[in-house]
Amino acid sequence: MLSGFLTVEAGTINVKQIYRFYCAQCHGTEGRGDGINDRPEMPVSPRDHTSRAEMSKLTDEEILDVINNGGEATGKSTVMPAFGKTLKVEEVEALKAYLRELCDC
Amino acid sequence: MRLTYLNISFLISLLATVLFFSSPVLAGGGEAFFNKKGCLECHRVTGGPDETTIEAVLEKKGPELWYAGSKFRPGFIARWLTDPKPIRPMAYYSLTEKNKGDHVRLVPAEALEIAAYLMTLKSATVKPSGIRPHMNIKGKKVFGKEFSCYACHKIKNRKKVLGGLSGPSLVGTRARLNPDWIYAYLTNPRAFRPVMDMPVFAGLVSPKKISHLAEYVSSLE
Repeated sequence: MLSGFLTVEAGTINVKQIYRFYCAQCHGTEGRGDGINDRPEMPVSPRDHTSRAEMSKLTDEEILDVINNGGEATGKSTVMPAFGKTLKVEEVEALKAYLRELCDC
Repeated sequence: MRLTYLNISFLISLLATVLFFSSPVLAGGGEAFFNKKGCLECHRVTGGPDETTIEAVLEKKGPELWYAGSKFRPGFIARWLTDPKPIRPMAYYSLTEKNKGDHVRLVPAEALEIAAYLMTLKSATVKPSGIRPHMNIKGKKVFGKEFSCYACHKIKNRKKVLGGLSGPSLVGTRARLNPDWIYAYLTNPRAFRPVMDMPVFAGLVSPKKISHLAEYVSSLE
C-alpha cells in the first residue's frame, strides 16, 4: 500500500500531492500514462509509471536524471520537461521513491 | 415631425443606449464595481506572490489579478469580459473537469469600468524588455523542440489548433498578453507564482533564448 508521505529531515513531504500537481498532467493521477496532455498529436505518449516492465529498465540515477533534466537527458523526448529548477532535491528523491512504489520495481 | 409608435420606440432605445454607454456604472468606479460583482470570490487583486504551497494554489478558483495591468494588453480585458471565451481548456487547475466557459459576462460599459481598474494593477518586476512580437524562428525552435511547450499549451498551427490541455491556451496570445510580462514571467516566474504546475525554465537556457521564446510566444495569433 502506498503511504504517499515520506519523512525527511526538513519535514514531511506529501509526495502524492507533488505527483498529482506536477506529474499527473501527463502521466495521469494514478500514474498510468493517461493524463489530460496525452493527446494524439503528441510525438510520444507519457510513460506508464505502473508498468513494471518499462520502469524496471531504469536505474534510480536515470529516474533522478529525467526528473531533474528532462527526457532529453536520457535520449528521450523533450516533451518531458526538466524539473530541476522547480522541485527541491528532497522532493525529486521522494518522487523517485514514489515511482518505485507505483511500479513495484 | 409626427410621432409614430415606431419613431417613439426608436427615440427611447437611442436614449437608453446613450445613457448606457456614457454614465458610470457605479459610484466609486471599477474597483467598487469589481468588488460588488463578487469578482473577489475568485480573483485576488492585492498581496503579491502569496501562494507558496500547492494547497494554496489549488484553493484558488481563478487567476490572481494583482498584476493584471502588467500582464494583459490594453483593451484585452474589456473585450474578453464582454465575450468571455475560455482561455484554459480545463476548469482552473482541474485534471478532470473541462472549462465550462461560464465566466460572468458583462455589458460593454461594465467591462470598460472593470478593465480600467484592473489595468492600474502593476508588478514592478515587469519592465520594458525590448521584446518585439514576431515569428522569431529561434524562439519557435525553443518552443517546439527544446521545451516542447505545446505539450501543455494549445497553439494554432496552419489553422489547426493543437496541444495539451493542462495549461492556458496560447492561441491569441498576441492580442492578450503583454510581451514584457511574458519575458518577465519566463525569466522570474516566482515573482508572480512561487508555486505553479509549470516547470521553471529560467536557468536551463540563456536569457537570450528566453527572449527569443518570448518574442515567438507573444506573436501567436
